[in-house]
Amino acid sequence: MSLAVKQEGRGGWDRGMDDVQPVYLYDGTLEGMLTAVFEAFRRKEEPLNIVEERCLQQSLLCSYIPILTDVAKAERVRNGVTTTLGERVYENLKQVFLSDDERKGGVIVRYLLYTMRKGKRACSHLANPAVDSFEDVLGQVAKEAHYMLQFVRFAQLQNGVYFSRIEPRASVVPLIMGHFATRFNIQPFMIYDARHGLSGVFDTERWWLVDARDIQEPSQTLAEDGFQALWQTFYDTIAIEERRNPTCQRNFMPKRFWGNLCEQVPPQLRNIRPKTTTPTVAARLGAPSNAAPTETTNLLPAP
Amino acid sequence: MELLDKLTILADAAKYDVACTSCGVNRQAVKGQLGSATSAGICHTFSADGRCVTLLKVLLSNVCSYDCAYCVNRRSNDIPRATFSARELAELTIGFYRRNYIEGLFLSSGILKNPDYTTERMCEAIHILREDYGFRGYIHAKAIPGTSEELLVRLGVLVDRMSLNIEFPSEKSLKLLAPEKAGESALRPMAFVRDGIKANYQDKRLSTVRRTRFVPAGQSTQMIVGASPESDYHILKLSASLYQRLELQRVFFSAYIPINSNPLLPATSEVSLLREHRLYQADWLMRFYEFDVDEIIDEEHPFLDPLIDPKCNWALNHIDQFPVEVNRVPYEMLLRIPGIGVRGAKRVVCARRERSLRFEDLKRLNITLKRAKYFITCNGKFADGVLFDPLSIYRELTRQAKGRRFKGVLDGQLSLFDEKSEPAPTSAFSLPASVLSSPTSVLPAALASASAKPAAQPATLPPAQTPILARRAS
Repeated sequence: MSLAVKQEGRGGWDRGMDDVQPVYLYDGTLEGMLTAVFEAFRRKEEPLNIVEERCLQQSLLCSYIPILTDVAKAERVRNGVTTTLGERVYENLKQVFLSDDERKGGVIVRYLLYTMRKGKRACSHLANPAVDSFEDVLGQVAKEAHYMLQFVRFAQLQNGVYFSRIEPRASVVPLIMGHFATRFNIQPFMIYDARHGLSGVFDTERWWLVDARDIQEPSQTLAEDGFQALWQTFYDTIAIEERRNPTCQRNFMPKRFWGNLCEQVPPQLRNIRPKTTTPTVAARLGAPSNAAPTETTNLLPAP
Repeated sequence: MELLDKLTILADAAKYDVACTSCGVNRQAVKGQLGSATSAGICHTFSADGRCVTLLKVLLSNVCSYDCAYCVNRRSNDIPRATFSARELAELTIGFYRRNYIEGLFLSSGILKNPDYTTERMCEAIHILREDYGFRGYIHAKAIPGTSEELLVRLGVLVDRMSLNIEFPSEKSLKLLAPEKAGESALRPMAFVRDGIKANYQDKRLSTVRRTRFVPAGQSTQMIVGASPESDYHILKLSASLYQRLELQRVFFSAYIPINSNPLLPATSEVSLLREHRLYQADWLMRFYEFDVDEIIDEEHPFLDPLIDPKCNWALNHIDQFPVEVNRVPYEMLLRIPGIGVRGAKRVVCARRERSLRFEDLKRLNITLKRAKYFITCNGKFADGVLFDPLSIYRELTRQAKGRRFKGVLDGQLSLFDEKSEPAPTSAFSLPASVLSSPTSVLPAALASASAKPAAQPATLPPAQTPILARRAS
């Protein structure tokens, strides 16, 4: 996710121009991030960024300070944020932490340095660079989470579990599990985030997160082919050829999601196709509308 | 017939219905039952025409006893016909829903025998879905004009949203093109549904949950644009009264796509998507921007300007109210600045409490200045390079009207817009003709009379009563 961090000066902190702005290193956990924020306040300095140790790309212009995660310090930051700025801001902070943006550490610390000093009302100072970049990242994560509510596609496996593979640009699985767990509370399911190696699992009672870096992805069942064919057919049919507008389509549904959407499998690669075709389907197939009848099977499982 | 083929036929037959929304109702999930609804709605995919797909939009049957001229399913068309059984439809909806393909079902139907019989069949199918399958997702049903009131009530408690298509903006066109659907019969059931929704809300004996049960997401309608001679003025007036008097949630416009050849219908191959787009923009102004329909369009200029959006058009016609100072104007006026939306206006109101905003700050608030910059000042200053003069603003704004969408308009091919008299694209933007013909001495009369300076610098003159604002750089 690209984010133009709009920086303006260095805030009101009393530092000389020749000082090298330090970069804090943390262990990649939320507690680690909060500890680093604590250290920034304790040292009265504004770190350029807070980066995960294993993602570090050294630069000569920065000094690097490793921060040792301390749960007690993290807890103090959490308390401070919730009492001064409210629970909501702490929730937002956790959401920003889920972002893939490598500048998120700096964004969080600048936001807290500003708002903790100015008080709760500062959270609505949208024209302030510190608040603005925080809101930007927050918005991007929320958008990504909403994309997932839209574009998660479940496929039923042989054992009855519904499985979905996603590749979001922020680690949003914890944000979307609640929605799916209530809506689909009668079916066990699993959402596998292949990019972050994280899975959300629901067993019809409760949901939890599983570290899933190298899982072998399951193959799908025959009945599933049937439902996907029905969906693909519906999807192709519903488009009106005279109104074709691929730009509009991509604006709403960026191509990066298409790999995990079964309706975007090109018609040539599909196993089951309808006998009846419409002009829209025919245009997609690149053939006249009465062509290519293939065998269809009874698709619904017997009740 | 295989289910796959049935689906192809019945989805194809339903695709010309525009409404595809799953919004307006919040229904919490219940343990042991499938489904929930969120009031904002969720779009699950976008088809090749860029329209969102949120519901499984199908007809129960495309067998129809009517013979409407514009419709793909008319009796006299030789097309494959199919009918879903209630079980098939329920299985299909549940199967799609469980896979997160859809938010729910949109069910319409051709007229089987008569309206009552058709509605009964639809009720039966939805009842199975709701009761036997415990489905709590979104359901939008099309009510058939001419259905009895008892059946409308039965349908209304099963679904979230109901819609009745008025099809054509005037009764005359409807009688001509859809003789079996009399104009009156669409409006009367709409009023009935409105009263039902109201009564439901007011009935204090019902618990809050039950009180909202009758058509909780409200009703909508749709009309076809471009198949009949009605003007934009007529269409917008009609939709305004539908919002006010019948309390509709949405009025949809559907650009006419020639499906059947009929001497009564225009034989155009052009789909007037741009006109549809402008109508939707006007519709948004009425619903979210507190515009009155008479501010958007008037009888003398019955068509919206194809080259600029209705909000810009309004601003240019009311140039005496501009430029506005973003740091001072109230929220209602912020909403009226072209290029600033509801979200942007709220952000400005929020941000300007802390500091006085400059143009850089507006960019930071994610406000696009493409159109807004001509109509605003920040701390008394215009943006760089802005010439505050209605004609040059109009020229700048229409310069952006490029690309496929404007093709017909710019070539002067699209007869709909310039039927009146002028060969150039006519607009509702009403500068005097003399001004248009001599662009060098541009000065609307109102400005000219208020000016004390020589006409050599007409553009720099502010309207009367407004304090002289600092001019643009350069």
